[in-house]
Amino acid sequence: MITLTINEREITLDKPMSVLDAAKKAGIKIPTLCHHEALKPYGGCRLCVVEVERMPKLQNACTLMAADGMVVTTESEEISRTRRGILEFLLINHPLDCPYCDKAGECELQDLVNKYGPTTGRYTEEKRKVPESHKDHILARNMERCVVCTRCVRMCNDVQGASAINVIGRGNRSRVEPFSSESFNCEYCGNCLTVCPVGAILSRLYIHSFRPWQIDKEVETVCSYCGVGCSLVVQVRDESIKRVIPRMGSGVNRGLLCSRGRFGYEYIHSEDRLRTPLVRKNGTLQQATWSEALDVVAAKLSAVKNAEGGASIAGIASPRCTNEDNYVFQRFMRTACGTNNIDSLSRTGFAAAQKYFEGLLGQGITANLLDGLKNSETILVLGDDPAAVNPVLGLSIREAARRGADVIVIGYAKGLEKFHTLQVIPRVFREAEVIEEILTGVFSDRGVRGDMPYVDKGLRELSGRISGKKTGIEGIDETVKTLLKSASTSIVLGMDIVQRSDGHRALFAVAGLTYLLEARLYLLSGRPNEQGLIDTGCVPDMLPGGRPVNVPDFRGKFEAVWKASVPDSEGLTLMEIIEGARNRSIKALYVMGDNPVRNIPGGSIVKEALGALDFLVVQDIFLSETAEMADVVLPALGWTEKAGTYTNLERRIQLLRKAVETSSGMEDWRILSELSRKMGVPANYSESEDVMRELARVSPLHRDLTYEEIAAGDALWPYNGEPLRGEMYEVPAIVDAARDYNADFYLAVDKPLFHSGTLSRRSRALMKICPEAAVRMGEAGAARLGLKEGDRVRLSTSAGSCEAPVSIDGTIRDNRVFLSGNFPGSGVYDLMNFSIDTVTKAPGTEGCEVKIEKIEGRG
Amino acid sequence: MFNDTVLKEIEGIKAKYPDRRSALLPSLYIAQREFGWLSQEAMTCVARSLNLPEAVVRGTASFYSMYKHRPAGRHVIQLCTNISCMILGAERLVDFLETRYGVPANGTSGDGRFSLVIMECIGACGTAPAMLVNTDFYDNLSEKRIEEILENYK
Ligand code: SF4
Ligand code: SF4
Ligand code: SF4
Ligand code: FES
Repeated sequence: MITLTINEREITLDKPMSVLDAAKKAGIKIPTLCHHEALKPYGGCRLCVVEVERMPKLQNACTLMAADGMVVTTESEEISRTRRGILEFLLINHPLDCPYCDKAGECELQDLVNKYGPTTGRYTEEKRKVPESHKDHILARNMERCVVCTRCVRMCNDVQGASAINVIGRGNRSRVEPFSSESFNCEYCGNCLTVCPVGAILSRLYIHSFRPWQIDKEVETVCSYCGVGCSLVVQVRDESIKRVIPRMGSGVNRGLLCSRGRFGYEYIHSEDRLRTPLVRKNGTLQQATWSEALDVVAAKLSAVKNAEGGASIAGIASPRCTNEDNYVFQRFMRTACGTNNIDSLSRTGFAAAQKYFEGLLGQGITANLLDGLKNSETILVLGDDPAAVNPVLGLSIREAARRGADVIVIGYAKGLEKFHTLQVIPRVFREAEVIEEILTGVFSDRGVRGDMPYVDKGLRELSGRISGKKTGIEGIDETVKTLLKSASTSIVLGMDIVQRSDGHRALFAVAGLTYLLEARLYLLSGRPNEQGLIDTGCVPDMLPGGRPVNVPDFRGKFEAVWKASVPDSEGLTLMEIIEGARNRSIKALYVMGDNPVRNIPGGSIVKEALGALDFLVVQDIFLSETAEMADVVLPALGWTEKAGTYTNLERRIQLLRKAVETSSGMEDWRILSELSRKMGVPANYSESEDVMRELARVSPLHRDLTYEEIAAGDALWPYNGEPLRGEMYEVPAIVDAARDYNADFYLAVDKPLFHSGTLSRRSRALMKICPEAAVRMGEAGAARLGLKEGDRVRLSTSAGSCEAPVSIDGTIRDNRVFLSGNFPGSGVYDLMNFSIDTVTKAPGTEGCEVKIEKIEGRG
Repeated sequence: MFNDTVLKEIEGIKAKYPDRRSALLPSLYIAQREFGWLSQEAMTCVARSLNLPEAVVRGTASFYSMYKHRPAGRHVIQLCTNISCMILGAERLVDFLETRYGVPANGTSGDGRFSLVIMECIGACGTAPAMLVNTDFYDNLSEKRIEEILENYK
């Protein structure tokens, strides 16, 4: 216990803290400038000076630790004089262009001068002149306004871990610059922008377009880009989003954001948004009224159902849509259309892995809070770069590394290059054998754990089969040693290694490690609601709440509420639906909020399959490549235009709030309930909360959940629900004659930090940061072909070809070349074929040979 | 990137310190020697060989005025013009360097042979005027003596 006196008030502290924090705790405000709650104390500006009895000089409250018996005064004539002096000095070189500066109204310097500052300055010499730099597309710098508090630099170094900017020069010529002095060329998280107290770092997305006090609405919601589910605040003026900012200390992200979350919002106001329903007439899509379009869909789906049975209809739901949308989607498909053929593009990774792990280890095995990651002693990263797929989760790994955790990367994770303590590089596409070898190592020490007999049995079989067969790959033994001595281990799994035709082998090994080490398992999730999609029943085998559809008891409960019957056998998974469309056993397909033509491996096969359908409905906010093929297109509402909930990758359910009014489009759930009614199965909801009420009534997992509870941040796994135990999967058979991948180059899927599916291409800012797909390849491969950065090449595979510029990446040391699928035209998936993993039903993308030729004369 | 000999030299410096950041200042001198000045490329090479962020390297380098932040001639003359040197004719020597070698004060000769930096005291007041040519020290300067000295710096 520490007891001190501040301004004659006695304050008792239960843990050590600075005088500044102690004062704050007691509600006493001490002015600060270089201090920021997200950063370590710095003691640079001296505005926080206070008087402390028995200390001869004024002290910095931000760096002085509170001590027992201390007597502190925070305001006095001397303190005011000192603060006034400091501010006068700061203003010597400040341009005082507040009338013109975006920060005015929320500027800490302005506020401080207003309260403590001199009303006139005595300085008459020339001020320093530094022209405002607009050389970067996103961030403008005005270094005349900079007070060199270094908050931005400390944010970029100590929190973001990008170290992209620094104080350049010294004395009154100090300024903040990125390395190139022009373009930032960084991770564009914008977290430096959050902490700059003055108008020295500015966002070009909204520069000079509004003043902070002109915001009409400020709405707290959740990011629409990935499964971390960062909290953010949307500021609106005239029904248009002006900017997205974080709220310090709140949400899973604690005030941090990534480039997509902060700068990616412009798609909502894109010119390309769908405004009216479209119906195909004489071969072309033509504008139609809502009632006309809905009648066509209801009539056509009913006709297919009556003629061919519900099993000839399938639905693809969306990990970008809310829980409410997805719940109503599966209800509509199961009841009105009479089919369990419901899946989503999540099957290509997340849903496949999720099902496998839950099947083996029980529901909720992936429900781990991000805070646990920060506090782990050892973090094992596999299968993707967390810092690109789930950037803010990546920051937790960086933070753990800074604190001394062992970060072991199996394969490549570019964003952790400066943070990992060990990297193990498997043979290309053969990650499973490395994880199995690590597992066997751990098993031979730990032995049978005994809680889950069938997992123990599997482990015994597996280790019996492979013990003694060593791959000889460097780092495996050290990994085993590190894992065995670690008191708390986290495993972060990316979806790349799920996309193998024997992907379940890696999954079994990861499950085994999770089990033996009692590790926390995190699945990277590139979409905001992959988990929610599964939990609300948009999977072929489970009803909402993860209840098997083929168990009559479970089914009966849902049928009673829905007042309609549900087919009793499991439906088809995503790739089976595509296959079914191709062989004409699926006649009608309903796609909500996704773009399978561009987002599934084997683009040309998918196109062929959709082309063979009798009827395709697409519900979206844009006329995507898939929508272009549809018979009816229905315009939906997007993020910030509707309320609802998302379930993030830690299985936290969070509230999305409506921020802008728009005249076109309808909520996905509303469209679906209209259709359901037209097809004879009433589903009456007037707002999204009604949908949640029904879900909370029927789903044993979401039992009694309310929007109030969710808004309060209490909706954490397992809510008020009842999880189920696991069931058994066969231990994967080892393919002894493992294939070697020795061709010159193989194509692999790139997941760029700045993009997300085919949505982010409608965001001007993200397109400026990363305007086109590049072929990322290692130095050796590029040298072999005589390629340099920016050269244009043609990539050809057995499935197709495309052109792209080369980007050389020194961190890639195998024969894979990475291409993304986020841009218009051809992308990586169009160039791939796939094979299906028989256990997980995910498409395997390994072994796609690619020929690379330089296109002469350009680039 | 640096060649192997230079990399080895930097490795040697790194080995002397527990923290690789301590090797930054000496490595910047090496980069300056190799590239003539601290260009972006030179700083990138230092960053890579020490595995430090480029912005950290640039921030540190820019703090010190005695690194070359602009391209310089093959040889850098640093001439003092403080009190003692001034009284003993340093300013005449500045003119001489310009007329004889075409190197203006704080500039570089057209042939790229010399750069001239006017600097503060180098602690040779007793034997003024004085200058440094690269890292070599010369005092008791006169026009004639400068001519003789610079013969050795082609
Ligand atoms: S945007 Fe992020 S990565 Fe870029 S300089 Fe700012 S803090 Fe650093
Ligand atoms: S740019 Fe802003 S945050 Fe960075 S040092 Fe200057 S005033 Fe501080
Ligand atoms: S980490 Fe994910 S949820 Fe967070 S801001 Fe970035 S894209 Fe959005
Ligand atoms: S806030 Fe304490 S020194 Fe700046």
